[in-house]
Amino acid sequence: MAISLRNLSVDYSLPQGTAHALRGVSLDIEKGELLGLVGESGSGKSTVAFALMGLLANNAKVTSGTATIDGKSFDLTKRNATAALRGRGMAMIFQDPMMSLNPVFTIGTQLCEVLRRRSPGSDRKARVGMAEDALDKVKLSNPRRRMNQYPHELSGGMRQRVVIAMALLSEPALLIADEPTTALDVTVEAQIMREIIGLRDRIGCAVLLITHSLGLVTEYCDRLSVLYAGERLESGTVRQVQRQPGHPYTRMLFDCEVPIDRERQADASENRFTVISGDLPDPRRRPPGCIFNGRCDVSFDDCAVINPGDYPVGNEAEHRARCLRLATP
Amino acid sequence: MTDAISISNAQLRFGETAALDGVSLAIPQGTCFGIVGESGSGKTTLMRAVLGLQKLDQGEIRILGNPLVHSRAALKQRASFIQPIFQDPAASLSPRSRIRTLMNEVGTVLREPHAAMHERLRVILNRLGLPPGVIDKYPHEISGGQARRVAIARALLMKPSILIADEPTAGLDVSVQGDLLNLLQDIRRSDNITLVVISHNLAIVRLIAENAVVMRAGKVVEGGEVGSLFKSPREAYTRELLAAWPGVTQSKPTG
Amino acid sequence: MSGLVATLKRICSERDGRLGLAFTCLILVFALVGPLVSPDPNAIDIKARFAPPGVMHLLGTDNLGRDLMARTSVGTRYALTLAVMIVVISSVIGSLIGIVAGIAGGWVDRAVTAVFDIVNAFPPLILAFALIALYGKGSATFVLLVTVVFIPQFGRMARARAQTLRTLSFIEAERMLAVHPVTIVVRHYLPNVAGPIIVLASMNLPVVIAFEASLSFLGFGVQPPKSSLGTLIKDGFISINQSWWPTVAAALVLAIATLGATLLGEALRRVIDPKSAGVR
Repeated sequence: MAISLRNLSVDYSLPQGTAHALRGVSLDIEKGELLGLVGESGSGKSTVAFALMGLLANNAKVTSGTATIDGKSFDLTKRNATAALRGRGMAMIFQDPMMSLNPVFTIGTQLCEVLRRRSPGSDRKARVGMAEDALDKVKLSNPRRRMNQYPHELSGGMRQRVVIAMALLSEPALLIADEPTTALDVTVEAQIMREIIGLRDRIGCAVLLITHSLGLVTEYCDRLSVLYAGERLESGTVRQVQRQPGHPYTRMLFDCEVPIDRERQADASENRFTVISGDLPDPRRRPPGCIFNGRCDVSFDDCAVINPGDYPVGNEAEHRARCLRLATP
Repeated sequence: MTDAISISNAQLRFGETAALDGVSLAIPQGTCFGIVGESGSGKTTLMRAVLGLQKLDQGEIRILGNPLVHSRAALKQRASFIQPIFQDPAASLSPRSRIRTLMNEVGTVLREPHAAMHERLRVILNRLGLPPGVIDKYPHEISGGQARRVAIARALLMKPSILIADEPTAGLDVSVQGDLLNLLQDIRRSDNITLVVISHNLAIVRLIAENAVVMRAGKVVEGGEVGSLFKSPREAYTRELLAAWPGVTQSKPTG
Repeated sequence: MSGLVATLKRICSERDGRLGLAFTCLILVFALVGPLVSPDPNAIDIKARFAPPGVMHLLGTDNLGRDLMARTSVGTRYALTLAVMIVVISSVIGSLIGIVAGIAGGWVDRAVTAVFDIVNAFPPLILAFALIALYGKGSATFVLLVTVVFIPQFGRMARARAQTLRTLSFIEAERMLAVHPVTIVVRHYLPNVAGPIIVLASMNLPVVIAFEASLSFLGFGVQPPKSSLGTLIKDGFISINQSWWPTVAAALVLAIATLGATLLGEALRRVIDPKSAGVR
């Protein structure tokens, strides 16, 4: 097993009280696998990435959680637990590539810096060659010229390619991509996703793709985990979850997606969009029972009282969901 | 019947780049019209030109047959025909004014008696599912969803016959975006409003609009009735856009 | 009002803010209460000239035996009144000009910016001498002069804010509703420009106080027998061989006033950070 995250809980202290952003979230990613972590705003999906990288804000506190990366175990409740892994064992792609790029250095300088940190003794010329090679691999046109350009001279998609090239050079065991294509056009999104997959195939790392888009996950990922209000409600392979969503939330989320091939009906009342009514629960006071209870369309009395465990869906071992209906067949 | 909006040969350059490069299109009254394109396609610039927020270098825009003129008198007249719904409707509420003040401004513009305006407002708020008490709040005191509805209520208070929505679902979760789109569809049908939806989301436009155009680099690539436009696109670019769309498709096995 | 209380609370939450607030309150009390409890500031008592600080004269007397406590507090009140008046007038005028320039753009904007540049091109003291040569000495000239000198600062800030606001959807929404332009400026631009302008105004108060003192010191500000901090320092300076405390007393008040206002202004800026001020 390449990467495993066990029982991650994160609190934010806010002026109005303590908000529980994550409650006991666990994830497993095999080497060479793309895991999609799907969640809407307020689900805490980015907090997972920041907790792993040790980049949480000052008012955040990891109350429990361990990460195992390449056989080594890290206690995430300690500050800077994974500092040694940053940039080597782990790399991160942000929604805004400028979070990873320094605006005052050229692309070449920044790529060579990654190589210099990985192997300090290496030859400068060799590093430049490797950097150019990496830019070529992520299909950035004219790599030699790009090496001397500054980040502001590139478009959003090109900058994201540079960040992927940086990740490629640092050869991480785990690549975390937090909404890497949200700010990009669909055609560029498809290209960037192909580059991320290409990177995974080249260095065989595990990839955690954090996104709000089920479409992106079903298109590109091997497995997916669904996060809602700080809790993981379902996990399984994309095929399994798509064929038979174990949790009502997952099913409703799939229903909300507008398929590109859904056709318009002449009767306008048939062109309705699906909605999940209701609001997220208060992150400061978790209601008893199932976290999704207030918005669920198939809930029953016990749902308000019993907090469901993680039950297998069907007879597939890897596919699990936290819904009481699975416990009482 | 005259078209709600007709644009002929709209041209606009920002320095070296052509934001609009000879755009011509006609939007029939009472229909929903989609404008799709990626960033830099000129779709937002086109909307701003139609609203009179952006002057064209060349070309003509007619709203309900009347040429668009940049004068205060013309703006005043146009305001009661055509209203925008901005990309972040919540941000279209002035942050330091009470919602009541913002609504009263509409009454002042329309020279409508206070009581009559508030009676209409009461009906509109009720229809949008907003509590009457919302008008005594400041925009930052209400939720994002409510602010979005308040902005729409304010536009509706002008009794427009054309609504232009710029990326209405940008930044919204899938579980709530449908709510806004259903609302827009309902308003459009019950008030017989011409609705123009500008979006990068092809799937939504396909479902909500009767006709649509695809824009790229300031030009209209192709356009027509959505059924045929999306089912059998003539242009390679439209096919590329459709192919790149990630997603849950109906044709994939689901059972 | 709750906003004001919250702002004060946040100012008090740090040392510099508390210090600034304390100094400012001290000076305010001194300027407001001092003249009420002291003898006539212009009463001459030759027998008691150059009296050291004591029970009769808390800060001693000057070369004509006038009570320095009274003269200093009157001078402080005068300096504060002038400073507040000047800052208020120049910030209001500057904001309006700046907003109009920012909204209008084009030649209006260029003309306004050019005028601002021209005003700023002259060192304030040189400009002061020129104006005094033209119109003579006196408070009116002084107010006019300093107001004119300070308008560009406020104008520039308001212009920059207005340029940003102009592109925001809520201003565009107002325009699309055909709301009257004057209403838009007063109701939607002004409140959103006010934050940084208030901060700038509070930081300019000490500058104006010091400027008034320096002009009066040079003899171009307040005319005798009225007193101001500048004239007090000057008068004390002339007779510093006989007694040093008049100079020190007035200078100390000036130092506390400017330091207090500066610290308070800085604290206010941190609370209403220009970046987060305005649109939220």
